[in-house]
Amino acid sequence: MSERKDFVASFDSDSRKTAVRVAFVTRRKSPHVKVHDDDYVMTFPEALFRGAVAVEILALLLVLLSLFWNAPLEKLADPLETPNPAKAPWYFLGLQELLHYFPPVVAGVLIPTLVLIALIVIPYFKINVQAEGLWTRNRSARLRILALTVALFAVFLIAFNVYAVLIPTLLMAGFMFFAATNRAASGRFHRWLASKPLSFWIMSWFLIQAAVLTLIGTFFRGPGWSLVMPWSGDI
Amino acid sequence: MSEPVRKESKNPDVSRRQAFVQLGVGSICAASAGAMVFGYEFLTPNVLYEPSPIVNAGKPDGYPPGTVTQDLPSGLYLVHGSEGLYALSAVCTHLGCLTAWKPELGIVACPCHGSKFRRDGSKIEGPAPRPLRWLKIWLSDEGDLLVDRSEELSRKQFVRT
Amino acid sequence: MADTLETQLPRGRGGRVWQSIFRSGLGDTNLRRALAIQQNLFLHLASVKVRKRSLSFRVTWFLGTLSLGTFAILVVTGVPLMLYYHPSVPQAYSDMNDLRFVVSAGLFLRNLHRWSAHSMVLLVFAHMFKVFYRGAYRPPREFNWVIGVVLLLLTLFLSYTGYLLPWDQLAFWAITVGSNLISAMPIVGARIRFLILGGNGVNANALLRFYVLHCVILPLAAVAFVAIHFWRIRKDGGLYHGGSERHE
Repeated sequence: MSERKDFVASFDSDSRKTAVRVAFVTRRKSPHVKVHDDDYVMTFPEALFRGAVAVEILALLLVLLSLFWNAPLEKLADPLETPNPAKAPWYFLGLQELLHYFPPVVAGVLIPTLVLIALIVIPYFKINVQAEGLWTRNRSARLRILALTVALFAVFLIAFNVYAVLIPTLLMAGFMFFAATNRAASGRFHRWLASKPLSFWIMSWFLIQAAVLTLIGTFFRGPGWSLVMPWSGDI
Repeated sequence: MSEPVRKESKNPDVSRRQAFVQLGVGSICAASAGAMVFGYEFLTPNVLYEPSPIVNAGKPDGYPPGTVTQDLPSGLYLVHGSEGLYALSAVCTHLGCLTAWKPELGIVACPCHGSKFRRDGSKIEGPAPRPLRWLKIWLSDEGDLLVDRSEELSRKQFVRT
Repeated sequence: MADTLETQLPRGRGGRVWQSIFRSGLGDTNLRRALAIQQNLFLHLASVKVRKRSLSFRVTWFLGTLSLGTFAILVVTGVPLMLYYHPSVPQAYSDMNDLRFVVSAGLFLRNLHRWSAHSMVLLVFAHMFKVFYRGAYRPPREFNWVIGVVLLLLTLFLSYTGYLLPWDQLAFWAITVGSNLISAMPIVGARIRFLILGGNGVNANALLRFYVLHCVILPLAAVAFVAIHFWRIRKDGGLYHGGSERHE
């Protein structure tokens, strides 16, 4: 019905393909082009060879490691004697550390399941896709929510004597409050923190938590899962 | 016979095809369910070459009053308390580590996650969710103590000598 | 006669034999370089061209590539180790000692397998965090992130099942503690533990089941998921290359 238009509307930002372009600039938007289309290179040989070199360097390091450092082998498995301390592989020691504080249903089933579900749904949740700083809007309301959450969580952790989780959590909360402060002449670090979205804070908290628990489980736990120093030789 | 059907649907082939698709999907589902049952049955061993759960702990005379004896091979504590002899499992209720009797402290301690128990199996401290398991113990006709490690008792049971 | 020999003889890359295998010929033009990727069963999981920016070390730290590298090392060292290993009690443990003291280069292969396994777990975790902090999980790459989580789980299971195989004290008690964790699951936990171990405790059945999982089932699953993971990179528009990417 309508008349034939002598132009076609489409999205394009490549000046080599489309010589004449019309940009519709709505109110409060700027016609600023952030990124130009990238230069492409051939996968073969550029990417393949870089990957190969990276893997070769890694293989070299692992071979050197294997030549000078033997894999551990303890004595024959004996169901009648539990070694003291009995430790899982290092990547499960964070979990084993949690098992010291919470009953197995919580630390062994509930927490890993929740972590797994959280990891899977990350890209499907809007808070993770948002790239906006946490404190850029609703600052006072969000501050109250954060303070309440941290306080409740801290009470729960103190009730169970889980200082290994409490201290990193408080540290992280400290950084979040620091990022929320309004400072006229803020330094680079403050500006960097202030630009971080909620997903960044949650993941960083998880990362620090996992690292701290794993390190404690690996280096600071001795006989009967008691706290020891790494150099005491009991671990 | 097929006249009314033809009037209802424009193309009899489509409904026939759908019926066949449903039949096919249905039979695949049934076969999958059967395969799962079969797989479960296959993966469950019917015969286990494991030690018998019932162990002979010898004559009651070997356990004088007021002592706690740890029998390593069977994973048992035989305790002679004021009310009589009873058997406790030495397997920690937390994650299955083998606990050890500490005579100098008078407690049972688990090396894995630091659970500690009294001599009646009740928990002193640590992450273990339940006390140590009380096991069924009785005297055989020959006068030997027999303990069934597979059966946990809900009530305390003693053998008086 | 001499004539035919001369034309029949392979002359390195670009010769007749080479061309019968690799149709693409020498990589002297961009077309042939593209064909080298596109005509290869394995390489065609990747795209023919990549953004120059995504190749710099800063962007990925090559963590995904390195994870694949450790996996390759693990397969190459693991298969020869299988030739000297019996998954039975207590033969498994004496096989470990044979590998250490009797088999030529056995100690080295076992060391390399062990350290590569630890490295792989570390690299896969690092890869996950790097992808998260770059925001590379955002749509349209959300499903590839999920595949990545599956691969992380497979890596952990592979490492964990391998942990039992030496049948030493470390192995036995780590698996005892770990399998009791499963039985903490409500209702089905004890049944699942029984099925995985093939018995009431960690014994010969458990060793055999872990061996089959470690050497057959989990590696095959890992290969399949790695293939999907790489293929999805191409299908989702190449490696993520910055925060200003738009999707309509």
